[in-house]
Amino acid sequence: MTHPGFEAQIDAYLDGELAPPDAVELEEHLRACPDCSRLERRRRAVRVAVREHLPRFPAPDMLRARVRAQVQAETRQTHRRRAPTWTALAVAASLAVVAFGSWQLALRGAAGEAITNQVLASHVRSLMPGHLTDVLSSDQHTVKPWFNGKLDFSPPVYDFAGGGFPLVGGRLEYVDGRPVAALAYSRRQHVINVFLWPADRGRTAGPRAATLQGYHLLHWATPAYTYWVASDLGLPELNDFAALVRRGDSAAAATVR
Amino acid sequence: MESSELERFEAVVLPHLDAAYTLARYLTRNDHDAQDVVQDASLRALRYFAGFRGAGSGEGRGWFLAIVRNTAYTWQQRHRADTLSTEFDEERHSETVADEHPEAALQAQSQRAALRRAIAELPPEFCEVIVLRELEGLSYKEISDVAGVPVGTVMSRLSRARRRLEDALCAEPEDC
Repeated sequence: MTHPGFEAQIDAYLDGELAPPDAVELEEHLRACPDCSRLERRRRAVRVAVREHLPRFPAPDMLRARVRAQVQAETRQTHRRRAPTWTALAVAASLAVVAFGSWQLALRGAAGEAITNQVLASHVRSLMPGHLTDVLSSDQHTVKPWFNGKLDFSPPVYDFAGGGFPLVGGRLEYVDGRPVAALAYSRRQHVINVFLWPADRGRTAGPRAATLQGYHLLHWATPAYTYWVASDLGLPELNDFAALVRRGDSAAAATVR
Repeated sequence: MESSELERFEAVVLPHLDAAYTLARYLTRNDHDAQDVVQDASLRALRYFAGFRGAGSGEGRGWFLAIVRNTAYTWQQRHRADTLSTEFDEERHSETVADEHPEAALQAQSQRAALRRAIAELPPEFCEVIVLRELEGLSYKEISDVAGVPVGTVMSRLSRARRRLEDALCAEPEDC
């Protein structure tokens, strides 16, 4: 004889969710009823199997990075939305001085500033849901060919997983009035975006750093490409990353020669 | 939001990102969609956080998981009404079973496969109670808050869900 009325009670009992008087009553019934007591044993086994075999999934680092970026973006927006009191104006003024101060090197021209803002905006937009990659792959041999037919150049794509900067993927961006390649890398919970396009005048420029809205931007130009890198990663580590890219480029150039 | 509020958000909500991702992962059944759902949910949580008056991290978990759940449901209606992907990340989650007894290992493997198939086939309202109860250890009351149904409904859903899992396990005769 089965007691369907007891089934949910048995589960609640095993979950420790049955009120004590009901639990005592059920225990009495289980002692008297072999069918229900078999059911109780099977349910215990199911619970054990579920806990043993169904995994919990840790949130991926990339997800943590994006959520953290959202919190940061929210902080900045709040500051912008707030009515400008004198204190806020004073803070803004001092921030402007800091921003200007850290922006010492040759990027003061209006054109340079426009590109800087575009790169920053692209970086921030890429951190929004579903915007980071058009091609999601840590394999450089998947990412590089993906750009075929989408750009008028084939961007160099490196994977620095060995150096602690795994490739995440690539996407198209529009910067400085032209479609450019954007490559996403990660470092722990940080996202690094690399923007590159063919250098127009073949003029080289050493790496320059700037800090805007809490993000670090690096810029350099090789004879072949103009590079911009954006991330919330600390500047020393970002410089290490840039060095890897530059080393990759010069190794590639050496092979060609 | 004041920066003290943002700090409170980081302390109350962000510790539950693993729980959020696990729930989203079971409801959407794949990594990419689960990440999108959790990111959307945390953006909503951030926007509505001012209305959340709970203090403890436990309350924060229920509150956040409810948002994740609702985001996953809305998201599924909008994007994947009729596609059910049953992708399961096998390599990443096939932890090795004690292999001193090959037969036992084999049986555990088939048990695991049967269970994962069964959980993937559960309707979402059954799947979520199993995840919240067995993997996250929520009480019936907490689950009822997350799913927005009475405790009695949680109890009967959980029981029916377990019956289905039990049937799946018992489809392999040697397991029963």
